[in-house]
Amino acid sequence: MTQRSIQKEPNIQEIADLLTDIAAELMTTGAHTMRIIQNISRMASTFGYYIELSVFQLSIMMTITSKENSTERLTLIKKTRPLALNFTIVSDLSALSWDTFDKNLTYDKIKQRYHDIVTRKRMSRWLVLFLVGCANAAFCALFKGDLYAIGLVFFATLFGFFCRQEMVKKHINHLIVFTTSAFIASLLAGLGYVFQLGTTPEIALASSVLFLIPGVPLINSILDIIEGHVLTGIARLVNASSLIVCIALGLFVSMLILGLEKL
Amino acid sequence: MNTTEFIQLILRDAALAAVAAIGFAVISNPSRKAVAVSALLAAIGHGLRFALIHSLKLDISLATFVAASCIGLLSILFARIIHCPAEVFSFPSLLPMIPGLFAYRTILGLIKFMRTADVVKSQGYMLDFMHNGLTTMFILFALVVGVSLPVLFFPKTSFSVTRKY
Repeated sequence: MTQRSIQKEPNIQEIADLLTDIAAELMTTGAHTMRIIQNISRMASTFGYYIELSVFQLSIMMTITSKENSTERLTLIKKTRPLALNFTIVSDLSALSWDTFDKNLTYDKIKQRYHDIVTRKRMSRWLVLFLVGCANAAFCALFKGDLYAIGLVFFATLFGFFCRQEMVKKHINHLIVFTTSAFIASLLAGLGYVFQLGTTPEIALASSVLFLIPGVPLINSILDIIEGHVLTGIARLVNASSLIVCIALGLFVSMLILGLEKL
Repeated sequence: MNTTEFIQLILRDAALAAVAAIGFAVISNPSRKAVAVSALLAAIGHGLRFALIHSLKLDISLATFVAASCIGLLSILFARIIHCPAEVFSFPSLLPMIPGLFAYRTILGLIKFMRTADVVKSQGYMLDFMHNGLTTMFILFALVVGVSLPVLFFPKTSFSVTRKY
């Protein structure tokens, strides 16, 4: 306490703002609800506050109360941004919350480190593109696709994922992004049917859209439901399912165009 | 099938799963160490599932459950070693086991059911739809429950791995 009293003591509003920012960032980058609540309460207790936190899909509601003087309290609602997975941020913010707890970091230092963490650069998008292509091709091989199918899936994924990256950059509605990417990838993979390449064109078609399956939101939703945050879990589940419906829609449209609907 | 052939098949399965896990992991931008660990865990989990299905003739969802719990346990161990929350690498290592092909067949069955007027055929399509849909759901639940069992058993450990003391 002596160390902190030398500096200007942060008031309850500043702390609440920082904590809701961190909570919203964790929600955006794909942490599950229990982790968000644990991290934020840990940080709040370092400053001498209790918090009550409600996490929803689009907003976070937090009441922060001083441990010494319970009349000093504040309730905030903070909007969250649309989901953009980034596990480096999740793990760094989690580490930051423990550092706050163990080393009694000052408010300014936490704010500085939070800023550093969220502005750090992502992995090169071209490397990601290549690795996703390889991954989907490997997926196709796991389902016993032959070499033609694997090659087709690799290129279909490259194009599909490139379109997704471009559209995400332009902030197009994510449902449209998923439908269009699924359409492009499956259209390219469906060419195997049209030109009779190899013996397993149906596996190429089926696995060409699998790179879009929202695996992390699905797992998060079930994890939330298991841990008792049923409402948030169901919201995540509905979101993930609507993305899957979009993928199916894109696939269906390209099957119609290629004349494969009688399969 | 003799033993060496079987082991070769398992190794091939594990290697492909590792490649798939790396690709799906980098979409969510984890650290380099976490990517390596998730590839390793995916190889172990998927290889184990393949072995269980083909040697013990286990049902796919049960085998998935065993493999996912194995991944969950190992992920807590690795989380302590590299100081990183367990889900950062346990989620990507589950992704190769996500039942994408079953989900695809579910939707395909639904579309066929919708577009046919023949009663006998449509019963078959409905059966396809139910079979594949239920398999998809059970595998998903098996994955998540399996991987989070260790977290539910050791909550203290799994939430304090990023602590450096």
